[in-house]
Amino acid sequence: MAFKKDTVMGTMIFTVTLCLLCSFMITGTAELLKERKLAKQRDEIKRFVLIASNVEVAEGQDFRSVFDERVTPKLINLNTGDAEAMATADIMNFDERMAAINPQTATKPKKDTARIRSRAQDVRVFEVRDGQGKLASIVLPVYGKGLWSMIYGYVAVEADLNTIENVVFYEHGETPGIGDFLNDPEWTDKFQGKQLFDDKGKVSFSVVKGGAKAGDVHGVDAVSGATMTGRGVQRVIQFWFGTEGFQVFFDKIRASEAAR
Amino acid sequence: MSKNMASTKEILATPIFANNPVAMQVLGVCSALAVSNSMQTALVMTLAVTFVLVFSNLIISTIRHLIPNSVRIIAQMTVIASLVIIVDMVLQDIAYELSRQLSVFVSLIITNCIIMGRAEAFAMKNRPHIAVVDALGNAMGYGVILLGVAFVRELLGSGTLFGHEILQTIENGGWYLANEMFKLPPSAFFLIGVMIWAINVVQRKRG
Repeated sequence: MAFKKDTVMGTMIFTVTLCLLCSFMITGTAELLKERKLAKQRDEIKRFVLIASNVEVAEGQDFRSVFDERVTPKLINLNTGDAEAMATADIMNFDERMAAINPQTATKPKKDTARIRSRAQDVRVFEVRDGQGKLASIVLPVYGKGLWSMIYGYVAVEADLNTIENVVFYEHGETPGIGDFLNDPEWTDKFQGKQLFDDKGKVSFSVVKGGAKAGDVHGVDAVSGATMTGRGVQRVIQFWFGTEGFQVFFDKIRASEAAR
Repeated sequence: MSKNMASTKEILATPIFANNPVAMQVLGVCSALAVSNSMQTALVMTLAVTFVLVFSNLIISTIRHLIPNSVRIIAQMTVIASLVIIVDMVLQDIAYELSRQLSVFVSLIITNCIIMGRAEAFAMKNRPHIAVVDALGNAMGYGVILLGVAFVRELLGSGTLFGHEILQTIENGGWYLANEMFKLPPSAFFLIGVMIWAINVVQRKRG
């Protein structure tokens, strides 16, 4: 039977075949480029973790080798505070965003102050060691809603689990021009040395409108014109270091240190 | 046979000047305005358009007897869109910074009338190898305009070519005061206008 292209059946067969062939072409290319794309994403993570933890990369030195030398990625179960058994290479390829929306690996927060809707059970954290191999800081991923968009960042906490080493916000979709201070080191440098918790262990970090008073160990200056973005950052930090964030993980570390 | 050879040459050469898609048919002007402020982006854009144009003409011409008349435009769009997505993915992989500079204009190759026009007007009626020649000719015609405009705009707007300094600007301690107008899209309008005029004058002289 010859192919009659101008019949209804012929048109259907043609369109379905063409669409299938075209989609094979596209998925084929995507599959070919996948490994290279993953490598790029890993490099991005490495770069931002090193910035957040204030690890200096000397000129001519490859940041990847610095990362491999100083940083250990770990996958932490937030409900138990324990590290999941997983190879380092797999941890670097762990897809946080998929894990956060997959109903099998994520739960709805009871008090969703950062407005993230659902939180992954596992998060990827990074232990950063100094030149002598002593734990210098832990880099923790945080995210939450600002005014318009999800703000993604890393917070590096020193070994006392209270003092902020540095922060970096690597992705946001806040108002262009107004929300750009998130990427400005001049602003994020203000986080350095601030304390997350007060004496009672409550998260007291805040972004202060009108400017933090001198000697305020918990407060960072807000930026005028960006009230909601600043409030978002405050909520993000308060959520992630609170009971539904890293608290179980931190308690576990403190307990193991006390036992030693 | 010899007649066929001559026409092949003609198909390749006419779209470069005599029937230039940008200057004579005024197609694909949007991207020509947007990405012609530096030689580098113009060259990459030209290569991307060449790839899409050649392969869309090749594929559509190969399957032209199978395409039902009622869905032919959609079928052409499907092929073109798939090719553009592939170009976009490859470009993001090998030249991420550059693909960010070109931003949406790579994806907008889908709506570039040159490609659609060649598919509908030429590839649907001709054999594959002739269609490829036609695609190459039209891509060159697009490239000539794009690179020509970019040459003038980058040289006069920033004093550079492919990022290399040619005219030292006053900011860098030289003598050349960069003409800011050439950095902005409207300047491409004037330049393309001048090119259309020049090509028309030459054409008329030839008779």
